[in-house]
Amino acid sequence: MVNFTVEEVRQLMNKPTNVRNMSVIAHVDHGKSTLTDSLLSKAGIISAAKAGDARATDTRADEQERGITIKSTAISLYGNLTDPEDIKDIVGQKTDGGDFLINLIDSPGHVDFSSEVTAALRVTDGALVVVDTIEGVCVQTETVLRQALGERIKPVVIINKVDRALLELQVEKEDLYQSFSRTIESVNVIISTYFDKSLGDVQVYPYKGTVAFGSGLHGWAFTVRQFAVRYAKKFGVDRNKMMERLWGDNYFNPHTKKWTTKGTHEGKTLERAFNQFILDPIFRIFAAVMNFKKDEIPTLLEKLNIKLSADDKEKEGKQLLKVVMRTFLPAADALLEMLILHLPSPVTAQKYRAETLYEGPPDDEACIGIRDCDPKAPLMLYVSKMVPTSDKGRFYAFGRVFAGTVKSGLKVRIQGPNYTPGKKDDLFIKAIQRTVLMMGGKVDPIDDVPAGNILGLVGIDQFLLKSGTLTTSETAHNLKVMKFSVSPVVQRSVEVKNAQDLPKLVEGLKRLSKSDPCVLTSISESGEHIVAGAGELHLEICLKDLEEDHAGVPLRISDPVVSYRETVSAKSRMTALSKSPNKHNRIYMIAEPLDEEVSKDIESGKIGPRDDFKARARVLADDHGWDVTDARKIWCFGPDTNGTNLLVDQTKAVQYLQEIKDSVVSGFQWATREGPIAEEPMRSIRFNIMDVTLHADSIHRGTGQVMPTTRRVLYAATLLAEPGLLEPVFLVEIQVPESAMGGVYGVLTRRRGHVFNEEQRPGTPLFTIKAYLPVMESFGFNADLRSHTSGQAFPQSVFDHWQILPGGSPIDSTSKVGQVVQEMRKRKGLKIEVPGYENYYDKL
Amino acid sequence: MTQQISAAPVLSTPETHIFEDPTPIVTPANTVPLSDDELFEIYEVERTAREVREGGWSRIALQFPDAMLKDGPRVSQALEKELSRLPRPDLSASTGKNATVEELETDISKLSTNGKAERERLFILADTSYGACCVDEIAAEHVDADVVVHYGRSCLSPTARLPVIYVFTTRPLPLSPLVSVFENTYPSKELPVILMADITYNSHVPEIAEMLRAAGYTELLVPEIVHDPGSIIPNRSVDAELDIKDYSLFHISDPPPSLLLTLSSRVKDMHIYPTDTQAEPTSALEAQTSRTLRRRYGILTSLSTCPVFGILINTLSVKNYLPVIETLRSQITTAGKKSYTFVVGKVNVAKLANFSEIGGWVVVGCWESALIESSDFYRPIITPFELGLALMGDEERVWSGEWRSDFSDVLKNPPPEPAAQKETTELSSEKKENEHIEIEEDSEEESAPPEFDLRTGRYISHSRPMRMKTVTSESSKSEPTSASDVLTRRAKGDLATVNGIVSPGAEYLRTQRTWTGLGSDFADVEASDSIEEGRSGVARGYTVGEDGERR
Repeated sequence: MVNFTVEEVRQLMNKPTNVRNMSVIAHVDHGKSTLTDSLLSKAGIISAAKAGDARATDTRADEQERGITIKSTAISLYGNLTDPEDIKDIVGQKTDGGDFLINLIDSPGHVDFSSEVTAALRVTDGALVVVDTIEGVCVQTETVLRQALGERIKPVVIINKVDRALLELQVEKEDLYQSFSRTIESVNVIISTYFDKSLGDVQVYPYKGTVAFGSGLHGWAFTVRQFAVRYAKKFGVDRNKMMERLWGDNYFNPHTKKWTTKGTHEGKTLERAFNQFILDPIFRIFAAVMNFKKDEIPTLLEKLNIKLSADDKEKEGKQLLKVVMRTFLPAADALLEMLILHLPSPVTAQKYRAETLYEGPPDDEACIGIRDCDPKAPLMLYVSKMVPTSDKGRFYAFGRVFAGTVKSGLKVRIQGPNYTPGKKDDLFIKAIQRTVLMMGGKVDPIDDVPAGNILGLVGIDQFLLKSGTLTTSETAHNLKVMKFSVSPVVQRSVEVKNAQDLPKLVEGLKRLSKSDPCVLTSISESGEHIVAGAGELHLEICLKDLEEDHAGVPLRISDPVVSYRETVSAKSRMTALSKSPNKHNRIYMIAEPLDEEVSKDIESGKIGPRDDFKARARVLADDHGWDVTDARKIWCFGPDTNGTNLLVDQTKAVQYLQEIKDSVVSGFQWATREGPIAEEPMRSIRFNIMDVTLHADSIHRGTGQVMPTTRRVLYAATLLAEPGLLEPVFLVEIQVPESAMGGVYGVLTRRRGHVFNEEQRPGTPLFTIKAYLPVMESFGFNADLRSHTSGQAFPQSVFDHWQILPGGSPIDSTSKVGQVVQEMRKRKGLKIEVPGYENYYDKL
Repeated sequence: MTQQISAAPVLSTPETHIFEDPTPIVTPANTVPLSDDELFEIYEVERTAREVREGGWSRIALQFPDAMLKDGPRVSQALEKELSRLPRPDLSASTGKNATVEELETDISKLSTNGKAERERLFILADTSYGACCVDEIAAEHVDADVVVHYGRSCLSPTARLPVIYVFTTRPLPLSPLVSVFENTYPSKELPVILMADITYNSHVPEIAEMLRAAGYTELLVPEIVHDPGSIIPNRSVDAELDIKDYSLFHISDPPPSLLLTLSSRVKDMHIYPTDTQAEPTSALEAQTSRTLRRRYGILTSLSTCPVFGILINTLSVKNYLPVIETLRSQITTAGKKSYTFVVGKVNVAKLANFSEIGGWVVVGCWESALIESSDFYRPIITPFELGLALMGDEERVWSGEWRSDFSDVLKNPPPEPAAQKETTELSSEKKENEHIEIEEDSEEESAPPEFDLRTGRYISHSRPMRMKTVTSESSKSEPTSASDVLTRRAKGDLATVNGIVSPGAEYLRTQRTWTGLGSDFADVEASDSIEEGRSGVARGYTVGEDGERR
């Protein structure tokens, strides 16, 4: 039975110091959902017996079926610390009583769904990073950790699946310790790489209690602190001192009864304190239970003060082990303690998160409200994703109150991602119908929710596509739009089998693009409905949802296609010139490649069109070696005003130039959206306007003359600058035993893959291979790999970068790239041949 | 900078430019002039003259497409000759019989002055205002013509004012290869086939049909030319009860794209016999329309969220074009969007790009020229039929591949009023009282939800700017018109409003344009740090600053 009521939760919400918003993040299959179960069982949401098997936060049928999490799921829990001593250990932040509200979000681990992780991280302040004892830190562990740190989210770590190390690998205590310490070290390496001054040092150390060890499946876990508390009583020493001694090179010399940091005593090796005091009892339980030493067990249990019910005593083998361990070291206790003690409350976290969350100035009422987590300030609420309701086509807007209090009936300003203060674009006013508490698959109505909490909103889903800001302040800027680590690079086109079903498909596409933070639906120029996702699996799930749920009509789905980008690989070999249709105006332009770092910075939002132009120029000059005057004269970003192509004004003393700027900018947006080679968007090109001559009469240099000319001259400049096609490339991480490595290499080579890192995981026969694999070649890669390694290799692919498609120039129809281009042009119903620059270039 | 600009930047356009003729010089494609006999034959001088005479018209406008313009004078001369050769039935009879000497004298003078007026006068019309396929009635009316002779291929759209004589200027076509290609294409002789030719080849059709029937084709259907673009096969007579879905279509010469799209959904398949190749064609091409149709679908769905439409008038002669414009306007208004009407003459990229506030264009033109397929245009251009689909809600739009080019259907069945609109009108009565005040306060009414843009997959917030129109127009009507006697202050916002709604065009200019006139370019330029005292004195030695140091 659930051991708390909505009223209790509501009471706790008033004490933001006692709220913990946290997400569980990890690599796929490292046991997030399983571990979450133990917390849920503690809260009485699921029965203890089911915990570990139920995966209660996997609410969808296909999640249960496939055994992976697809959507992130939020759940609110009640937790408490009974020991007042424990509460004293909460350092660095205030606390009010021993009752705590934990808003937990279980996130998917598969890379294809990492946009869900991003959405989860945005609304939380802390993260529980789950790492597999055997597999260690994997690619997705790093990705999510990096994202978490980027959002200024404090991590704590649990090393999971310790039972496997004991049962399957039969490791020794010291080996296990070494494995633990290596894993922790690699986590810390990542943390220190993305060090953020405002967040402070957030590296994790077992002796500080920020690392736990355990088994989600068996439902047990411990922290060094828990043992330290036990032994502190026994030894009568301060527990903080004890904690430090129980990790690292600390030894208890039984001969001298003294603590030492030396591993040897009179030539004999001493046992490490961690091994002796913590691992030893665990190893003994395992040995006794698994070797069926019936007589040893009761004494052992008595010694460790473990009491079992009569039923449980009858159990044997793994079942008994589970019960014993769960009673000895309940996972929920260890986790709760770690989360409450070490994760920040909203009050603490929003102090340093406010500036990264808010787009506007740091001293306006909205930002101050966020900083102080003030429930009386104007409302600032970020909706990070949409959760489907049982009512088809409607959604809960899932988000977090950063300031103010939200309640039913409150009239709010809904600001979409493109809202700019003072303008009416993407701004709606609407009353909130209801507020609800998200409880896994279910919801509980709640009257109002103050700052610092996570909730669901009813009645505003029609106004926001995926995410947005809700506020009551008229001057408030947006909360920053989330940046995803994955991009929708794999696409498929869908069409209805029966023309009459088209409206249903259209409606389905709308719902689909709402329900997933990352998926993109669009109609191509050639009239196809396109669904784009992060990877094959993501797309497969989306299309399955579309066909079965959102649209509910039979669909015809094309093979996956890769979206390309057009770019240039050199400077235009001569200045491109185009004349306006009336021949009275001329524009001179040069295209050159933009540095990859600049493009990446634009994509990650470090350099953006909304930045102050002086600050932006500074960044470009200092970090990327731009000329400051050039950098100040960036006219615009494109396509869609925020893309990775830049238009730079390098003219000197051109009269009327400001007058035609708008026309040139629209021409630029148009041209960069559909490049000259195959009408794909352009990427990473810098266009320099070298000179402009304009007719003296404004009527002859109107938009009609200038805009088409700009497009022509941009095309000419591109075609003159050794154009190339960019293809997306996955970073693939493959875990494989040594014996099957040959197969991996074979498959990769055949698919234009390129291995750049190969490492053995110490203490295991497993190798980790990192490779770059073009997305185009990745279709069916997983199946191929499995068949060539007899199912022993597990790949994880995540979009990493764009690379020039090798094999010649796209203009040359005989080259391999030329073929790809022609194929694309044919599909789009364009003239097969790429037009030459002469089509756009005018002679003087 | 790789390339330095050699000369100093020119700050204005040199005047030589102004006098340069910007239009490209058209080199005549066909250099071999036609012989007189050929000319007589091709331009059907004899038939034209006869019809003119029968009609009793005296002022005749000859309309040539650009390519044939070079033959214009000769055709005109030949026609004149032919007309003078033809007997004038009633006039000469009446003058010849009961004429006295006196009368004869006056008659001579009449012949020289009045008689000249009696004689047919010919005018050559060049540079048609819209398309060469349409009859340019306006130009013809400038010369007060009674009849227009239209040369070249024609869209056969019904005209509103003037009688027209069509001369299709038949082109030669070798028939035997055509028949063999036909036989290769349709090996089965029982297959129902429609035989059809482009208008300039149409005169060969009966002969070909004869040959094919002789070859054993039993199910051949040869429709006649009629002036009805709204027919099942545009401009061809087909029995209304006949279901042509089972028919294949064999088309001689490339059909215009709009015909291709129209027919593609109506017949089973289409084969095109190419005529523009040098060598004798050996096979007929299967027409591929699915890509074009898909592209059209992509274009029209992209306009479903477009707030402002431009109605582009591309004809001044096709029958019913004015009612169609009215219908389109009301359709667009009903959907809560704004429309502006444009007449720009011949459509080109530069002209349309001048109006960047327009999100999409609807062309009202003859059925052939209404389909403008070019990606060079800044905003997409659609036909009235497609507009109907674009304005339809996403819940209703069905794309079966059926496509129509003729706008007479738009008139016949205007689309039902959207449900949303009805709602507003119902609401209007309740809201009427406080509506007026709310608008002035820039009310914080709950906003209408945004619309999903299918093309980009995003939400568009102001896709129906005129949605409130009916409501406000009613309230403004009830206001007393006392504005004339007192000066009124301009409403806040400084924008032109139409019935209380800010004009979308003006709104666009305000929000999207950064250039707002002279002086606005200096907004970005940084102010200098501080004012410093400069040098003073005489050239022998200037004083710098206060300390009186001389330099």
